[in-house]
Amino acid sequence: MKTPTRLFLPLACALLVTSLQADNEVYRTWTDAQGRKLEATFRGIENGNVFLQVRNGYVYRLPIDKLSAVDQEAAKTLKPQGLGIPSDPNLAQAAAQIDMLVEAGLKKAEQKPNPLASDEQFVRRVFLDLAGRIPTREETLQFINDPSVSKRAKVIDRLLNSEGYRSHLFNYFADMLRMADVAQKARFYTYQDWLKGQLSDNVPWNKIVYSMMTADGKLLENGATGYLLRDAGMRLDNLSLTLSTFIGANVSCAQCHDHPFADWTQRQFFEMASFFGATETYGAKGNGGGMQGMRKVLASLGDKKLQQQAKNLMRVNGLKVEDTSENDLKLPDDYKYSDAKPGEHVAPKLITWSDDKAKKAYQGMQAPKHDEQLRNQFAKWMTSPDNPRFAMTIANRLWKHIFGIGVKEPVTDLDDPKASVNPELLHHLASEMVRLKFDLKQFLRVLCNTQTYQREATSHELADNTPYLFPGPILRRMTSEQAWDSCATLVVGADVDKFKAHRGATYAKAMNVDFSGGASPDVVKSQIENAVASMRQFGGGGGNPKNNAKKKRAMGQEEDLTLAPPVRNGMVLARASELPQPEKDQHFLRMFGQSDRQIADSESEEGSIPQVLMLMNGEAQRVIGQNDSLVVQTASAQKTPEQQVESLYLSFFSRKPKPDELGNAVAGLGNGLTMRDLTWVLFNTREFIFVE
Amino acid sequence: MNLHNQLDPITRRAFCERWASAALGVTVMHGLGGNAFAAEATKTAAPSGPGFGKAKNVIFLQMIGGMTHIDTLDPKDGPTQGPKAPIKTKADFQLGGTMENLAKHADKISIIRSMTSKTGVHAAGQYVIRTGYEQRGTIKHPNIGAWAQHFKGSSHKTLPSSVCVNRQPQNGNGFFPSSFSPLPILDPDSGLQYAKSEASPEQMIKRLVMLEQLDAGFRDRFQTSEVKSYTQFYDKTISIMSSTDLEAFHLDDEPAALKEKYGKGKFGQGCLLARRLVEKGIRYIEVAKGGWDMHNSIDDGLDEHGAELDQALAALLEDLKERGLLESTLVVLCSEFGRGPKINGNGGRDHHPKVFSTLLAGGGVKGGFIYGSSDKEGMAVADKQVSPQDFLSTIGWSLGLPIDEVVMSPSNRPFTVGDKGKAVMDVFA
Repeated sequence: MKTPTRLFLPLACALLVTSLQADNEVYRTWTDAQGRKLEATFRGIENGNVFLQVRNGYVYRLPIDKLSAVDQEAAKTLKPQGLGIPSDPNLAQAAAQIDMLVEAGLKKAEQKPNPLASDEQFVRRVFLDLAGRIPTREETLQFINDPSVSKRAKVIDRLLNSEGYRSHLFNYFADMLRMADVAQKARFYTYQDWLKGQLSDNVPWNKIVYSMMTADGKLLENGATGYLLRDAGMRLDNLSLTLSTFIGANVSCAQCHDHPFADWTQRQFFEMASFFGATETYGAKGNGGGMQGMRKVLASLGDKKLQQQAKNLMRVNGLKVEDTSENDLKLPDDYKYSDAKPGEHVAPKLITWSDDKAKKAYQGMQAPKHDEQLRNQFAKWMTSPDNPRFAMTIANRLWKHIFGIGVKEPVTDLDDPKASVNPELLHHLASEMVRLKFDLKQFLRVLCNTQTYQREATSHELADNTPYLFPGPILRRMTSEQAWDSCATLVVGADVDKFKAHRGATYAKAMNVDFSGGASPDVVKSQIENAVASMRQFGGGGGNPKNNAKKKRAMGQEEDLTLAPPVRNGMVLARASELPQPEKDQHFLRMFGQSDRQIADSESEEGSIPQVLMLMNGEAQRVIGQNDSLVVQTASAQKTPEQQVESLYLSFFSRKPKPDELGNAVAGLGNGLTMRDLTWVLFNTREFIFVE
Repeated sequence: MNLHNQLDPITRRAFCERWASAALGVTVMHGLGGNAFAAEATKTAAPSGPGFGKAKNVIFLQMIGGMTHIDTLDPKDGPTQGPKAPIKTKADFQLGGTMENLAKHADKISIIRSMTSKTGVHAAGQYVIRTGYEQRGTIKHPNIGAWAQHFKGSSHKTLPSSVCVNRQPQNGNGFFPSSFSPLPILDPDSGLQYAKSEASPEQMIKRLVMLEQLDAGFRDRFQTSEVKSYTQFYDKTISIMSSTDLEAFHLDDEPAALKEKYGKGKFGQGCLLARRLVEKGIRYIEVAKGGWDMHNSIDDGLDEHGAELDQALAALLEDLKERGLLESTLVVLCSEFGRGPKINGNGGRDHHPKVFSTLLAGGGVKGGFIYGSSDKEGMAVADKQVSPQDFLSTIGWSLGLPIDEVVMSPSNRPFTVGDKGKAVMDVFA
C-alpha cells in the first residue's frame, strides 16, 4: 500500500519546476476516500488504476477504489489528457520536464505547440526513429487496434529492445564516424562489429568513446582501434574530427591558423594534439623485428602474385595502435605566431571554454609522468560527466536524431551554447544525459515519451533565420537507410531485421597472422598461404552476403534469413547496416543520399534528377511491385478492391485511406491500373519518403 | 498542380506539354541551408581583361592515374625521353610520339609545362586538381561547374548545368546544394541511367495522374520547401523523360563515321557526348579517362591509352572548330600529377607531382602556345610555376567567374574559385 502514502507528499517536497503548463484548466483537485487532496491532471485509467500527473510531471498510480466517490465517477467519464500512460512515474516526470522547457521557449516567442499526433502518425514515426524502418501492415494494425492507454509507452520500449534499434543507431554513428569497409587498403569490419556490439549491449556512451580513444593493439584483434586507425598517419585531421564530433569544439580552422571567428588558436590545437603525440598509428615504429623476418619469407615466395597478396596481408596485420615512450608532436614548419617557433615541441594542454563552470573535469589533469598515458588522460577528461561539452554534444545529437533538428545547430559547434534556440533546454538535456549515466537507450526513451515528440510534425515552412522552438518534430525526409530498410520491409516484412553480417570475425580469422619473432619461416609461410586462400572471398564485394544466398539456394535449402538475406533482381534485401559500408555508387542507398563516409555527418536528404529517375524506373519500385513481394501478396489476398487498397495504404503509410483516396484508387484499379501500378504510385508519393 | 481536372480526355502530347510547362521556370529550392549563400563576405568590382568570360562552356578532361608529361605534352630529347621520340607539330613545338593526331591541331592549343602539385597520392591529387582545395574530413569543395552555377545560375531550363562522364559525381557540388551536382553518365553509349520507364507511355500517364490524386492531401498539408523541392525534381524529371531533352544523351543520333573518328572506346564516345551536350546548352562537362598509372611497361600503356586520348582529343578540337563552338568552349586536359623522368625496373614511370603539364584550347585561349617549362630531364619546374589553384583560376577566369569573390559555406567558412590562385593571363589571346 505504498501508493496512497506517496500520493499526499507535500508538493513542496517534489522537485521544484516552475510550471508553465499553458492550460490551467486541465488541472483538477482530486480527493481520496480519507479526504486528502492532490492537484493533478487525469492521464487515464487502466486495470483498475487511475493515473494522475502533478505539476512537476510525476505520475501517480492509484487504485480507483481509494478515490472519493465523486472522483471515481470523474475518472470514469473524463477524457484523459496527453498521450496515455507512461510506463513509469520517473520517466513521466523526466519527459514532462523537457516538455515544460520546450513550452516555456514557445511561450516566450508567443508560439503554440502543434496538436498531438494521431496513432497512425505516431506509429510510423516511432518505428522509423527507433527501429529505422516503417512498421509492417501487421505491426501497424496491432498498434492501432490495441485499446490499452499505455500502448505508446509500450511500443517505445519494445522498439528500443528490437533488432532494428541497433541497426538504426549504427547507421547514424557510421555516418558520424565515417565508417567505411575499406580504409588504409584494409577492411574495417572488426571496427563495425565492435560498434554494433557496443550498441546491442547498450554500453554507455562515455565508455564507448573512451574505448575508441584509448584502444590498443591490432585492428584485427580489437575493433575499437578502428577509430584512430581510420585516420592512420593523419592524427591532426583525426583530432580535429574528434573535437567537433564528440565535444562540439569547432576547431578545424585552427589546424592551419588561428580560428578567424572563434577563440581557438593554432597553438591550442597543437596542445590538444600533443595528447596523441606518443601514439603510433602508422606502423612506422612498431614491431620492426617481426616484420624484418617476414620480408625475408616474402622474398622466398617465388610467385609474384602470392608475394603481392602476402604484402597486403602484412599491411593489414600491421594496422595497430601502439603507445611509444616519446611524444614527438611539433608545431608545423609554417607556424607563424610569435608565441613559439616552427617545429618546436608542444606540451599537452587541455582547452577550456569561457563559460565553463565545471572545473572538476580538469582536476588532477596535469601532464602525466609517462607519455604512454597521454591519450588516456585526454580520454578521461573528454568523456568525463563534468566535461562541459561531452554530454551536451551527444544529447543534442540524439535530440536531432529524433526531432530532425538540433537544439543547437550545427551539432558540431557547441562553443557557444547561449546561441542555441533554447539554452535552458540544451543545458537540461546535457544534465539528463549525465543523470542517465550516458545510457543512450534511456535517453531516447525519455525523448520519445515527451509530448513534444508525440505531437504532429510542423507543416508550415520554417522561416529563414527564425529559431525553431519545437512545437513538435519537423517533417523530415527519410534518411537513405530508413528508405532502403523500409523498401526491404515492404518486400520481406519484419524478417528483414534478422540477418546480421558478422563480417568482422570471419575477416579477422582469415587474416590474422602472428608475425612476431618466434615462428619459423615455414610456419609463417603456410600461415600466409592459408590466409591468402581465405582472403579471396573478400576480394570483390567485401563479404557480400549475396554469395551466401546463392550458395544456399544452390544447395536447395530453404532460406534461413538469419544466415542469408533474400535476393530479388540482384538486390540483397538486408538492412543497410549489414550491407557494404558505404554501398557502391549506383546502389539505391547512395543514390538516395547515403554518405560516402569520407566526410563526417554527410548523409544527404536532398533530391536529384538521377535519384528521381531511380525511384520511378529503378530496381526498387520493380521489386516492391512484383508478385513475390509481401506487400503485393498481402493486398492480393484481400477480397474486395477496397480492402486491397486499404491493405496497401497500411503497408506504405501506416494508415487507412481517406474516402476520396479510396474512391480514386479503386476507380483506378477498375480503369486499367494494376496492383503493380498502385505500388508504383504509393512508392513515388512524397508521403512515402517523408516522416511525419 | 492539380492535373486530373485537365486530363480528361487526354492525349499524350497534351499531357507532356502540360507537364513541360509546369516544369518551366522552376527554380530549384534549397533546404534549410539554402539561404546560407545569401551572405558574401566581400564583393569585388567585376573583373575584366583578356579572355575573361570568353568561354560559355567547359569540357574538363581528367586523366586518372597520373598522365606522363614527358611522353605526351612535354617531350624530352635526352636519356629521359621514353619509348617514343618526340614529333613535330603544326606549331613551333614538339609533342610526345603518341600524339600524332593532336600534333595536327597544335595551332589550337596552349600547353602549361610548369604545373606542380604537393601530393603524389592519387585520390588527394585528383581532388586538388578538380577543386583547388585539399581533401578534408569536414567539408566538400565544389568543382568549377558548381561554382559557375552559383555565380551564373542554371545553364538549361530542364537539364542539369553540369554532367560528368565515365566517373561518379563524388559531390562535385561541394558545399553547394545537391542540385549543383553533376549528372553522372557512367557509360556514354547507354546514356542516362533509368531514363526509360518499363511502363508504356499510356500506363505511365495513368500512374502519374493517380500519383497526383493520391499525394495531393499530403502536399496540401505539408507545404514546406523540402516537399516542394521534391515535387519540382519529379516535375523536372518527368519533363526530361517526356521531352526531347533526353536526346542530348542519345549518341546513336550521331553519324557512324563521326563516332568512329572520336574512337569507339568510352573516352572517345565521352568526348563526343561532351560536344553534344555543349550544343544542348550544358555548361560544364567532365570526362574522365583512367589507365594512366603506368608503373609497368609504359610503352604498351601509351599504345593503348595515349593513342585513345590522342584520337579523341584531336577529333573533339576539330569537331568543335568545324561547328563554330571552339571560341565559346574551353577544353582543358589535366591529371593529378605527372610521371618521373626515370624509367623504372619494370619499364614504367612512377608518380611525379613536382612538375607536369596541362593543356587548354578554345574559350579565348591562344593557339600554338607554350607557357612555362620544365628542366631538361622533365624533373622540376624551370620557369613560371603554376599550381592547381592557378590552373583552376584560369578556367574560372575564362568562364567569367569572379575568382576573387569570397563565398561562405553553410558552415560559415570562406572559399573562392581556385582557392586564391592566380589566373595564367598569358594563355589568353
